[in-house]
Amino acid sequence: MNPRSRHLLLAWGLLVALLVIEFGASFLPLDRAARPLILVPAALMIAVVSVAFMELRRGPEAMRLFFAAGLLWLCILLGLGSLDPMTRINYYARTTNVK
Amino acid sequence: MPEVSSTQEFQYSSPRHQAESAISGMWLFLATEMLFFGPLFLAWIYSRHWNQHGFDAGARQTELIIGTINTMVLLTSSLIYSVGVSFIEAGDTRRLIQCCVGAWLLGLAFLLLKFGVEWRHDFERHLFPGSDFAIDGPDRDGARLFFVFYFLGTAVHGLHMIVGLILVGWIIFRARRKEFSAGFYTPVSVVGLYWSFVDMVWIVLYPLIYLIGRGA
Repeated sequence: MNPRSRHLLLAWGLLVALLVIEFGASFLPLDRAARPLILVPAALMIAVVSVAFMELRRGPEAMRLFFAAGLLWLCILLGLGSLDPMTRINYYARTTNVK
Repeated sequence: MPEVSSTQEFQYSSPRHQAESAISGMWLFLATEMLFFGPLFLAWIYSRHWNQHGFDAGARQTELIIGTINTMVLLTSSLIYSVGVSFIEAGDTRRLIQCCVGAWLLGLAFLLLKFGVEWRHDFERHLFPGSDFAIDGPDRDGARLFFVFYFLGTAVHGLHMIVGLILVGWIIFRARRKEFSAGFYTPVSVVGLYWSFVDMVWIVLYPLIYLIGRGA
């Protein structure tokens, strides 16, 4: 086995460990609003895949630029898009019996 | 990755320039793919925020075991393909072909589990958000929204998987014709980027579909 294959196997082991953590965390009695925290291991898994399998550190500069640009615009999309549901306060109309 | 191309086109200053342009071009495409999947993830945030109970009631109906096995299958498939890239870097075409066939078969196993087993169960249990939707009561509308997300997200990801299988098959075909060597393997690297990206999308979809709503 060459050194690069060993490195890839280690990355795969890390991914499986993160998957187990994520799977286990889904059974924790977390508050409904706090449950998206389960995405933290998934974010780490994406970092491992991009560095180990997609060789983000080894390639040309332009490739890292495109990756960063994609990530930035995705954050802007999700951030601005989430702003409305996260900050809006709904004032429900009181129901009264009108005679 | 910075290998020397044996077939340099006229518009590049060097074989290395050609290889780096191909890799960067694929990353530019993947950046647009991130933004393609972005609205789907935003739909999940928006819909769950307004329908938490119904959304989580829908998530509890999903097949966690199949979803988890499929995640393992995709992670392993990405590993095997990447090992194949490391073999062709050393000029070993035979091992590259073996790895690509392994990755291809795992990709096919994913699709069979997802659409042949899981979707079939979902339809049998009337979880498709149509007129005979199975979940009743106050959570019905939220659960329907969840299953719209579920079917749309898995279908779009499945389409990407099918494209990935075609691309990996194309690499196997070219490798069998001895078109790759330690000096030229840019297409192998480029297809590997796409294959790992499809894996990444599933890494996000897996908790959104199977995990977050389950214990709520």
